[in-house]
Amino acid sequence: MQEFGREARILAGRKIYFDWEGFFWDSGDWSEEVAVLLAWEGGLSELTATHWKVMRFFRDYYAYHGRAPLNRHLREGTELSLSELESLFPGGIRLGARRLSGLPNPKSCF
Amino acid sequence: MSERLIYLDNAATTFPKPREVLDEMVRSYSESGVSPGRGSYDLAVQAGDLVEQARRQVALFFGAPDPNRVIFTANATDALNLAFNGLLRPGDHVISTRLEHNSVLRPLHYFRERGWISFDLVPFDDRGFIDPEAIARSFKPNTRAVVVSHASNVLGTLQPMKDIGRLCAQLGIPLIIDASQSAGSVPIDMTAWQASAVAFTGHKALFGPTGIGGLVLHPDLDIQASRFGGTGVDSRNPEHTSTFPHRLEAGTLNLMGIIGLSAGLNFIAQKGMEAIHRQEMALLARLRDGLLECSRVEMYCAADLKDHVAVLTLNVDGLNPEDAGAILDADFNIAVRVGLHCAPLAHQQLGTLQRGAIRFSPGLFNTEEDIDHAIAALTSMSTRS
Repeated sequence: MQEFGREARILAGRKIYFDWEGFFWDSGDWSEEVAVLLAWEGGLSELTATHWKVMRFFRDYYAYHGRAPLNRHLREGTELSLSELESLFPGGIRLGARRLSGLPNPKSCF
Repeated sequence: MSERLIYLDNAATTFPKPREVLDEMVRSYSESGVSPGRGSYDLAVQAGDLVEQARRQVALFFGAPDPNRVIFTANATDALNLAFNGLLRPGDHVISTRLEHNSVLRPLHYFRERGWISFDLVPFDDRGFIDPEAIARSFKPNTRAVVVSHASNVLGTLQPMKDIGRLCAQLGIPLIIDASQSAGSVPIDMTAWQASAVAFTGHKALFGPTGIGGLVLHPDLDIQASRFGGTGVDSRNPEHTSTFPHRLEAGTLNLMGIIGLSAGLNFIAQKGMEAIHRQEMALLARLRDGLLECSRVEMYCAADLKDHVAVLTLNVDGLNPEDAGAILDADFNIAVRVGLHCAPLAHQQLGTLQRGAIRFSPGLFNTEEDIDHAIAALTSMSTRS
């Protein structure tokens, strides 16, 4: 269902809005239950402890700083190289890890 | 990972700035940083002299006949808006290219959406060049201007401005050159090229700070003011003055930026523009050659680097360019520009509109070792399982 350039979906019994690239319209709509469903849709049948560590770092950082982590903070905070992180999530860092973590679309130079 | 940042985004802005430029900015602004051209006390006159000296430098640099037609602006986008607003009238037609930056595309789109103008965009060939004859074929009786980016900020290709200028002159159509990506890298002679206007920015290859640019006009181009205000001259007159350069300059100038621009021009004169360009192109060729064996790296319009500035744009198969930029930054300490580079139609023609690409732009302060690090990083990224 398209509304004002955003798409509403019913996930885990809740109506949640996503933008044109599948990023959460409102980061507050994220939940672990929804993340599991979205991961499954994206081809991740199981979220490992490493996936959760990355997503929790994204979310904690965003909650504290009000923006996504700098690249070097992401590397330090997850204790993963960004090359490893990119391989870990289908879609990579931006369209995979960041999107699944419920952070807003960065919309940088696109 | 390199211990220090390897900055390969000089096409966005040169970094670091030469120490000579920064020192001169601080020294000169500390001594003479008063409102230029507004007061009669000695220091104000001296500040005004700094501005006029910079006008003469810029005119000489671009082969412009009259320093009073050097208009200082905030950047090239500002200069282009000034040119379009002062030149285009309802019913006009404009010819430009698919290589243009949004600094050209968006103003033209704005005017067209309001029904004021129409425009045609000439495509580039598979080597990244505009055919002047293709521009000639787009001429219409109501064509008011031709606007061409001298160097593509995506591909680095230098367009044949002299040939384009000759065709424009034959029909009496003003040629406006966007020199954002070329000024400071290669010589520009607007008189020899029969160009009516050159828009430039100071913070790229001219080694100045951000926030300063300009519009250099040929005296034959009649361009109207589109913003009005204080100029320091003819203050009793409720009408904005029609004399140049004040006709197009309203409000206090960016003296600090002008000092930096002037110092940047001095730096280039001292180093030699050709020597700087040769050094940067050698680094670019090293990068290009080092990546030839990477089967998963696709480079755009880089087979022949003749008539190029130091820009190389590429993609790694299977890797989102934005993620590639993040990996280069965090895992290899290499700064590059990813995305669409504000030139969506160039990417559309390359087939990279959806995700963009990765742009490498070495500068004067890069070394061969920096380039070898970049080659190693891309090789590593492109050979991951």
